[in-house]
Amino acid sequence: MTSRTLFLAACLFALGGCGGGSGGGGGASGGNAKPVKIVSSLPRTGSANAQTTTMVNGIRMAIDEAGGKVGELTIVYEDWDDASAKKGDWDPEVEAANADRAVKDANIMAYIGTYNSGAAKISMPVLNRAGLVMISPANTYMGLTKPGLGEPNEPDVYRPSGKINYFRVVPADDIQGRVAAEWIHSMGGKSAYVLDDRGLYGKGIADVFAATCEELGIGVLGREGIDPKAQEYRSLMTKVKQLDPDWVYFGGTTQSNAGQIAKDLIAVGLRSKFMVPDGCFEQAFIQAAGAENLNERAHVTFGGVPPEQLTGKGAEFVQRYREKYGKDPEAYAVYGYVAGQVALDAIARVGKKDREAIRAAVAQTHQADGALGTWQFDENGDTTMKIMSGNIVRDGEFKFVTILGQAAVGS
Amino acid sequence: METILQQLLIGLTNGMVFALIALGYTMVYGILELINFAHGDLFMLASFLALTLVGLLGLQSAGPATLVPALLLIVVVCAVFAAALNWTVDRLVYKPLRNAPKLAPLVSAIGVSFIFQNLGLFWGAIPLDVFGGGGAAAAPKAFPNLISNANLLGEESTLRITPKDIVVIASSLVVMAALYVFVRHSRLGKAMRATAQNPTAARLMGIDVDRVIGATFVIGGALAGFAAVIYGLYINTVNYQIGYQNGLFAFTAAVLGGIGNIPGAVLGGLVIGLVRAFSDQFIGAQWQPAVLFGMLILILVFRPSGLLGAHSREKV
Amino acid sequence: MKRRRPRFEVIALAVLLVYPFLPILDIAVEAATGSALRLDRQLVNIFIFAILALGLNLQVGYAGLLQLGIAAFFAIGAFSTGILTVEKYPFQIGFWGALVAAPAVAGLAGLALGAPTIRLRGDYLAIVTLGFGEVVRVVILNLENITDGPRGLNPIPGPWLPPWLGAAMGGSDTTGRVTFLTMYYVALLLLATLVVVFRNLERSRLGRSFVALREDELVSACMGLNPARTKLIAFSIGAAIAGLAGALYATNLTTTAEPNTYDFTYSIMVLCCLIIGGLGSLRGVLLGALVLLGFDNVVSPLLTRLIQGAGGGGTGNVLLTFSNWRWLIFGMALVLMMRLRPEGLWPSSRVEAEMRHEEARV
Repeated sequence: MTSRTLFLAACLFALGGCGGGSGGGGGASGGNAKPVKIVSSLPRTGSANAQTTTMVNGIRMAIDEAGGKVGELTIVYEDWDDASAKKGDWDPEVEAANADRAVKDANIMAYIGTYNSGAAKISMPVLNRAGLVMISPANTYMGLTKPGLGEPNEPDVYRPSGKINYFRVVPADDIQGRVAAEWIHSMGGKSAYVLDDRGLYGKGIADVFAATCEELGIGVLGREGIDPKAQEYRSLMTKVKQLDPDWVYFGGTTQSNAGQIAKDLIAVGLRSKFMVPDGCFEQAFIQAAGAENLNERAHVTFGGVPPEQLTGKGAEFVQRYREKYGKDPEAYAVYGYVAGQVALDAIARVGKKDREAIRAAVAQTHQADGALGTWQFDENGDTTMKIMSGNIVRDGEFKFVTILGQAAVGS
Repeated sequence: METILQQLLIGLTNGMVFALIALGYTMVYGILELINFAHGDLFMLASFLALTLVGLLGLQSAGPATLVPALLLIVVVCAVFAAALNWTVDRLVYKPLRNAPKLAPLVSAIGVSFIFQNLGLFWGAIPLDVFGGGGAAAAPKAFPNLISNANLLGEESTLRITPKDIVVIASSLVVMAALYVFVRHSRLGKAMRATAQNPTAARLMGIDVDRVIGATFVIGGALAGFAAVIYGLYINTVNYQIGYQNGLFAFTAAVLGGIGNIPGAVLGGLVIGLVRAFSDQFIGAQWQPAVLFGMLILILVFRPSGLLGAHSREKV
Repeated sequence: MKRRRPRFEVIALAVLLVYPFLPILDIAVEAATGSALRLDRQLVNIFIFAILALGLNLQVGYAGLLQLGIAAFFAIGAFSTGILTVEKYPFQIGFWGALVAAPAVAGLAGLALGAPTIRLRGDYLAIVTLGFGEVVRVVILNLENITDGPRGLNPIPGPWLPPWLGAAMGGSDTTGRVTFLTMYYVALLLLATLVVVFRNLERSRLGRSFVALREDELVSACMGLNPARTKLIAFSIGAAIAGLAGALYATNLTTTAEPNTYDFTYSIMVLCCLIIGGLGSLRGVLLGALVLLGFDNVVSPLLTRLIQGAGGGGTGNVLLTFSNWRWLIFGMALVLMMRLRPEGLWPSSRVEAEMRHEEARV
């Protein structure tokens, strides 16, 4: 190898390395004892960046509000990326690597992640064996916590040690898919065409939706997947139009082309109303579809109450977020915030760096009057907060319409 | 019956867009035997420019009187931009590799494609209103609905023909006809065909091969620029990944028709558009890529040079 | 002729063999920065990726076929492993069985695709392989009764070890260390074996026929070689190797992951790895795998953590987020490489000669 080659190789390494780091500010790092670390593993590269940025902001806020300290312990936060440039999206290898790294670093006491349910499947067993607590602000695939709703061996396959270390602050898709169908039923819908983006999240929730529709007597006129990379869907929409459903449901996210579906629905002259799950509950969805295509037509379900509807602590959160970051929080910000709070709260109760104790403490979490109201974790690690909201797009913005599902029970 | 007609219309209209982009691929390949991977992303950048211009000129709220000349202006600007960019990339990146083994310019094209995609990502972050205020760089942007979507056959008719379809088909036909006339009858067109056939002989005949190559990139780029505006008007989406998506289909169309063959690219584009539409109707949207590429493989197995392709010259 | 010195590969193999027990780089980095590097974990991924790249190298570097769909065979290997080992199905032949079955299935798929298409001209073959990649991805995604669609098949059981070996490695496997060590050594040894096989291939008759094919196909045919058959052999074996990598990948992750992982972009990445390292060059391929996966999975997360620790800005401005520049930097690197060093970072002397010779012409 010539020296020129070595130089080039070094450059590639360096450039690639430079290209890989994402900017991020950590919490205060002072004090004599080694700080307690909280890490998050979210896709920071690629199209999910907008949602994960808002979550990371929420986590940071939670830590800053605690002053970067819990009792005697200093808290340091690290924002890890589980996506890779080579995939442009979350990467199984990177997620596995993150989990390994977290296990090996004895200072890490809490792992906030992931955003994609597929990524959680990979890191959960690793973290479980090490007894490191994992708090997800976004995973909604049912099989991660609920027995009997996913594969036959789920969720035990994610808990090789037998203990539960995975908790999530968002309600799972079995609830969201169901309440979507119930909402349509309450609005008098008689038929629906169900589409999904063939992803873990999108297909999962669409399946629940379709099953509930059948239970409620809403005719499922079709059940189909789309290619999220296709540029347009007019021919598909033409086929749907022939069946003339009352509603079209799309299980997917803004990134899997929900906006284009909405546009093409209108373009072929379909009169149906349109419903999507919380993966589309962001401003980018309205931008992608064009507000005039969605107004009074697009309905969105969301786990929890949207930011501007939050009262009490939640409203304060929105206010503080606005002040700190100069813009309104997107829907998932509050989940990041609460996840951070859960971690901090458990560490405070334990008072020292003990993963097993912290894990047990998280299981005992009971938030009263927090940003998401009053809730706790159930025996599977799910939140007891089952409030969902139904929202509609009006005047180019999301407007809250109604609460769906049951409200959280106090104890 | 009307369904079939409707899908036919949709397929043809989409096919026109693919064909326009495919022409760029096929022309460059004919001359250089280079698969210009960056061509789709060039188209994407041009569509960002189109959207930016629409925003700057405030066309969302313009009446037809301002709209038509403004759109023509945008078409011209985008075509010039794409042509210039394409030509520049050729001079900077591909020209020094004229004598290198074939893989070198191919990989460079892949590199340029990545660069363009990243530029598209940044472009989408500009805080313009049309970009949704620049909030999410990676999110798709909606191109305003400048051409009416009203059904020309009346809102009650099940068959739907809109001004959008007319605009796309008519303008594409005009452009393709112009290209055909140019390539067939103009001096430069003849020079291009000669160079594609045999660069050495063309040189011997006094043709400035270098200039011809440059002209090919310019024309291919201009076509991509025009396609970008049409795409925005029809599909109403601009997104840093549309280059990748459409480029893949357009490249497939070019190969399907016989790469290097101009009418072949058009035919390939139309075939792909039609297959997509009918596959969605009768098989199911989740199978679309499989049907498309499966068909491609079958056709190539039985017609190895593509639908209209000539047999490649033997190197002796 | 080059002077004989201790071969790079032997040294590298020695270091890698003891790395799990003597992770020098990890220790150094952790001491310097306080952050865990976990290179040993990543090395397994790098080995698997290198095996995949070797498979592609056989097709592209040796036989000169432009293959844009290696991810398809990778996926076939992974999903064959999944189907043949998960509890859902009665086969359950275990990891070692899958190591044999998955390459066989992938190789057959390569044969099936290659047989009718290998005679196609280079660029047409490229699009056929690209198309095949997409077809496989979509078929796996949609046939969810068999493949579980987007959920992927899991859990894929780890390798079965005879009890004495398992005990020798560390007793009961609560930390997953035994599985990790097994995967590490299996992958490393498979990689080493393949490297040795390829080295010998280059000197063998088959290897020389590849060179002849690349130089001039018409003349080789006149000299009695069967170009189509030779290419088909390369194509199928390359596919089988990719299938082997797929089996390792799926077992290492304990899941086949979403089918969308195995897409055209992934195929392009493997190709870029070859290009960067040096087509047709064994050392180049290994170096390319190291560089590509190295910076994506090891260096960039490390740098991210270091930057964050030093208090880099956390604004929402897209231009200030380094990860948004990755594609641009990677693209520029490719363009620059082709200008300055098209034969790759560590080319084989033959390929380097070929490239320089072509440039000298005209």
